[in-house]
Amino acid sequence: MINRRDFGKIGLAAGLSATMGTPAWAASGADTAVKAAQKYKGLSITVVWEAGLQSLDPTHFSGPKWKELTGMDVKVVEVATAEMFTKIMQDYKSGAGAYDALNVIPAWMPDLAQAGALEVLDPYVQKYSYASELQTIAPTFRDNWMKVGDKIYAFPDDGDVFIMYYRRDIFGDPAVQKAFKDKTGKDLAVPKTWADFDVVGAGLTDILKSKGIYGASFFRQPPYAMYMFEERFRNEGGKFFDANTMKATINSDVGVKVFTGMRNENKFMPPGVEQFGFVENLAAFLQGQSAMTISWPPYGRWAEGYGTDQEALNWVPKTTIAGKVGYALPPGGHPELAAGFALSISSTSKNKDAAYLFIQWLNSEDVSRQRVQLPYTLRDPFRNSHYTDPGYLALWPNAKDYLAALKQASQTGLLDLSLLQTDKYEEVMRQAISKLWAGEDPKTILDAAAVQWDDITQKIGLDKQKNVYAAWAAKSGAYPKL
Amino acid sequence: MAAIVHPDRNFKYWLISPAIFLLLLIGLFPLIFSLVVSFMRVTMLETDTSFAGFVNFVQLFRDGRLWQSLAHTVLIMVVALPIELLLGLAMAYLFLDRMPGRQILVSLLMLPTIISPIVAGATWRLLLDNRYGPINQIIGWFAGHPVPALWTVNPTLVYPAIIFCEIWQWTPFMFLILLAALSNVDRSLTEAAEIDGARFWRSFRYVVLPAIFPVMSVAILIRGLDLFRIFDIIWALTTGGPGTMTETISVYTYVQGFKQFETSYTAAIAFLVIALLTVVVTWAIRRMGLAK
Amino acid sequence: MTGVPFHRRAETKLALRYLTALLLVVIFVFPIYWLFAISFKTPGEIFAFPPVWYPKSIQFNNYAVLFKDGDAKTVGNSLVLASVSTFFAMIFGTAAAYSLARFKTGGENLAVWIISQRMMPPVAIAFPIFLLYVWLGWVDTYIGLIILYTAFGLPYVIWMMRGYIEDIPLELEESALIDGCSRWEVLWKVVFPMARSGLFATAVFTFVFSWNDFLFALVLTRTEVITYTVQVTHYFGGQSNFWSKIAAMSVLGTIPVFITVATLQRYLVRGISMGAVKG
Repeated sequence: MINRRDFGKIGLAAGLSATMGTPAWAASGADTAVKAAQKYKGLSITVVWEAGLQSLDPTHFSGPKWKELTGMDVKVVEVATAEMFTKIMQDYKSGAGAYDALNVIPAWMPDLAQAGALEVLDPYVQKYSYASELQTIAPTFRDNWMKVGDKIYAFPDDGDVFIMYYRRDIFGDPAVQKAFKDKTGKDLAVPKTWADFDVVGAGLTDILKSKGIYGASFFRQPPYAMYMFEERFRNEGGKFFDANTMKATINSDVGVKVFTGMRNENKFMPPGVEQFGFVENLAAFLQGQSAMTISWPPYGRWAEGYGTDQEALNWVPKTTIAGKVGYALPPGGHPELAAGFALSISSTSKNKDAAYLFIQWLNSEDVSRQRVQLPYTLRDPFRNSHYTDPGYLALWPNAKDYLAALKQASQTGLLDLSLLQTDKYEEVMRQAISKLWAGEDPKTILDAAAVQWDDITQKIGLDKQKNVYAAWAAKSGAYPKL
Repeated sequence: MAAIVHPDRNFKYWLISPAIFLLLLIGLFPLIFSLVVSFMRVTMLETDTSFAGFVNFVQLFRDGRLWQSLAHTVLIMVVALPIELLLGLAMAYLFLDRMPGRQILVSLLMLPTIISPIVAGATWRLLLDNRYGPINQIIGWFAGHPVPALWTVNPTLVYPAIIFCEIWQWTPFMFLILLAALSNVDRSLTEAAEIDGARFWRSFRYVVLPAIFPVMSVAILIRGLDLFRIFDIIWALTTGGPGTMTETISVYTYVQGFKQFETSYTAAIAFLVIALLTVVVTWAIRRMGLAK
Repeated sequence: MTGVPFHRRAETKLALRYLTALLLVVIFVFPIYWLFAISFKTPGEIFAFPPVWYPKSIQFNNYAVLFKDGDAKTVGNSLVLASVSTFFAMIFGTAAAYSLARFKTGGENLAVWIISQRMMPPVAIAFPIFLLYVWLGWVDTYIGLIILYTAFGLPYVIWMMRGYIEDIPLELEESALIDGCSRWEVLWKVVFPMARSGLFATAVFTFVFSWNDFLFALVLTRTEVITYTVQVTHYFGGQSNFWSKIAAMSVLGTIPVFITVATLQRYLVRGISMGAVKG
C-alpha cells in the first residue's frame, strides 16, 4: 500500500525526473534507485572517498539526502588521495570486505579489475535500467573511463580535465599588446601551440616583470608535472610505446623536445616554480602574479569567487582577478583528462546491491547535476547536460565560456596512460621530472627512463602488457588525431 | 639465604612475562608471515603461493636501487647521529643548572618532537619554499640579494635540507634524555673532582661519562635505529627525489610494499634489513658493553 | 684569585648561558611559531610574497571549525591511545627492565630479541598485522591500537629503563631487603623514586612515539578511531591544502603534550634529593 510518505517520495522523484525533460513515464536513474533502495531501509553502507574537500559532497549533501530518501546510512571512509589505492587493495586482499562503494581513479582500473577487486556492474545496470543514462555521460569519459575490456566496472563521476586559464585583461590591454608587438613582431594572442606559448610567456614576463607579473606559472611538482608531460608529449606527436615491440618510446626526439621546452619555460616563470604544487600555483594565479596557467576546472570557479565565501573553501586565497579570466584549451588543443574519479563497487562488499543503488543515484542525471554545482564541490561537469545546464550558466557572468571550454576539452581530451601496474611507470616519470628540475640532461634522463619502462614491462610480461596497452591505445582518447 | 632464592626465581619471570606476552602477540605473526611470504610470489596482480625458492632473495642482491637506498640511509645516519648527540649533550649541560624560566624553556624545546613528523615535514616544505617561505627570505637579508635556493629540488641542497630538518626534530630527544642522565650524576663526585683540581674535560671523561654511559648508549642505539627507519621528513620534502637521490630504505620499502604491492619482495627486504641490523646492533651492544 | 668579584663572574656566566639558551629556543621553536601563525593567517597571508611573518588579526575561527566538525575529536583519540599505551608500556616495561637489569633474565639473547622488535621496517609488518587484526576483529578499535602501541613501546621502555635502573646503586635495594621489605616493596619504595627522572624522560618519548605514529593508524583504522596524525593528512589533497586546519590541528594536538611535559618537569631533575640520600 502506498502511504502518504511514499507518495511524497514518489512525487519528489517524479518531479525530479520531469524537470529533466524525460517523459514522466520513463523513470530516471535517480528515481529507480530510490525506489529500489526502500527495501534497504536501516542498512549501513560504507563508501571510500577522497579525504578533505571532496568528502564534503557525501558528508554534507548526498549522504544525508540519500538517508532522507531511503533510510540507508552512508558511512564515508575518508582516505587521503595518496593512500586510496593502498587501502582499497589491502581491504580486498585481506578479505575484510569492509568497503562497499568506492571512488577510483580511472588509471587504476586495469590493476584493480585484474586483481579482482572491482565488481562487474553490467548485471546491475541491466537490472535497474541505467544504460540509457550512462549513454548521456560526455562521450570521452563514457567511452574511456567506464570499462576494462568489455565489462563495466565504474561510472565516471568527475570531469577532470586541464584547462588553460589566462588573464583577459592583460591579453586585451592595448599597451601590453603594443609592447609585445614591438618586442616580438607578433600579435599578442592566446597561444595555440607550445612554440607560441614560449614566445608569449617570455614576452609577457619581460614586459610585466616590473609589476610582479610573470607570463605564466605551472604546478611543476613531479606528480602534477607528470600529467602535463603526458599531455604535451602526445600533442607534439609522441607515442608512449611502439605498439609492435612494446618498447618504450618516451625518449624519442619528441620527448627530449618536451623536456627541454619545459625546463626552458621555467626561466620566465616565478623563481622556484619547480617547487610549485597545486595550491602554490593557485595562489600565484589568483593573486594576479601570472598571466597564464593550466590546471583543473576548480581554478576557474574559484577565480570567479564561486564558493570561496564558503567556510570549506576558506583556504583558497582570495581572488583578485574575478571577471578577468579567460578559458582556452591548452596549447596543442588536446588537454589531459588528468586523474578523475569514477564510482565503483568492491567485489568483497557484503551489500553490493544496496551500494550499487547509491552510486547509481549519485551518478544519475539529476543528482549529479546538483552535485557538480555545489559551491564547495571538486566534482567537475561530466555529463552532456551539465555543460548546458541553466543553473550552472547562471553562476557567474562568464560561466558560459567556462562550460563551453570544459565541453570542448572533454571532446578533445586525452586519457591518462593506463596499463597494468601503471604506478610503476608513473613513478619512473615522476623521478625523471625531478631529475629534470635538478639539472640533468633531458636525453640522458629519458633514455634511462625508457630503459626502466622496458624493465617493468618485461617483469609484468611483455605480451600481457602489450594486450592491455593495445586496448588502451585503441580508445578514442588515447592519442590525438593530429 | 634459601628463603630468598626461591621467590627470586619466580619474581623475575613474573616481572618480565606481560612484556614478553605482548611482544609475542604482536611480533610473532608478522615475522612468520613475512618469512613464509618471502618464499612465494605474492604481488599485486597474482597471489602465487607456491614455493618459489630464493628468487626474491636473489633479486635483492641484484637490486641496485635497494643498495643505493641503504647507502643513502647510512649517510644520513652517520652525519645526523653524532651531531644530534653532541648538540644534545651541549644543550643538556646548558640547562643543567638553575636558570630563570628553565621549566618553560625546556618544555618549548620539546615541541619539535611532539609535532607529528608529517606536519613537521610539510611545514618545513613551506618554510623552505623559495617564494612563500621565510628561510630564503632570511638568507636573502644576510646576503643582501635574493637567493633562490631550491632546497627540495637542487641536488646539492637536498641532503643538507633533510639532515637539518631531522636534526631539528630529534635533537630535543637526545637533549632530554641526557639532561635526565646528567642530573642523576652524583654531584658530590663531580664536586670532589673539581676540588681535586680536575678540569672540565677530565671530570667529564672519568666521572660524568661513565655515569651517564648506560643511558646514553641506549639513547644512541634507539636513535640510530630510528634514523635507519627515517621516512616522514624525506617523503614530505623530496619523496626520495631528485630521481632516487634521497631515497632511503624505508622510502623504497614503502613504494614497493604500499604502492606497488610487491608483498613477497617487501618481505624479503624486511629480512635483509633485520639481518643487517641484528649484526650491527649485536656488535654495538658488545662494543658498548650493554648486555654484560 | 682574579680581580673580578666571584658573584659577578657567576652573573655573566648565567647571562651568557641564558642568552645561548634563548637563541637555541628561538631556532628550535621558529618553525612551530610559523605553524602557529598559520593557524591565524588568511590564505593570502599564508601564500604571500614576500612572506608575512605574523597574521594581521587573531581570530579563532579555524579552531572553532575543528570542534564544530568533530575533527578535534581525533586529538582526543590520539590522547587516549597514547596515554593508555604509555601507561601500560611503562609498567610492563619497567618491570621487565628490572628483571633484565638485576637478574639478567634471558641473558644477552633476550635483550637483543627485545630490541630487534624495533628493527622491523613498519611497512613490512603493517599488512600482516592488518591481517592479524582482521582475524581478531580488532581493526578500527581502541583496544587494537592500544595493544599495538603498548607492544611497540616496550622495547624502548625496557632498554631505557634498564640503563636508568643500572644507575641506581645496588646497596640501596639490598639494605631495604635487609630491612625486611619484600621484592615488590623494594620496587615501589626504592627503585621507582630513584629512577623518577628516568621514568619521566622515558614516558615522554614513549608517549611521543605512539602519538606520532602514522602508518599503523592509517592501516588499522577506518572511521571509528581516527587518530590526529591520520586526520591531518586528510587536509593534504591533490587539489586542496587546508593549511589553516593543518596548523590549528597541530597546535591543538601539541597543547596537551606540552602542558604535561611542562608540569612534570620537576621530576626530571633530581638534584638535591640524591645528595640527601647519600649523606
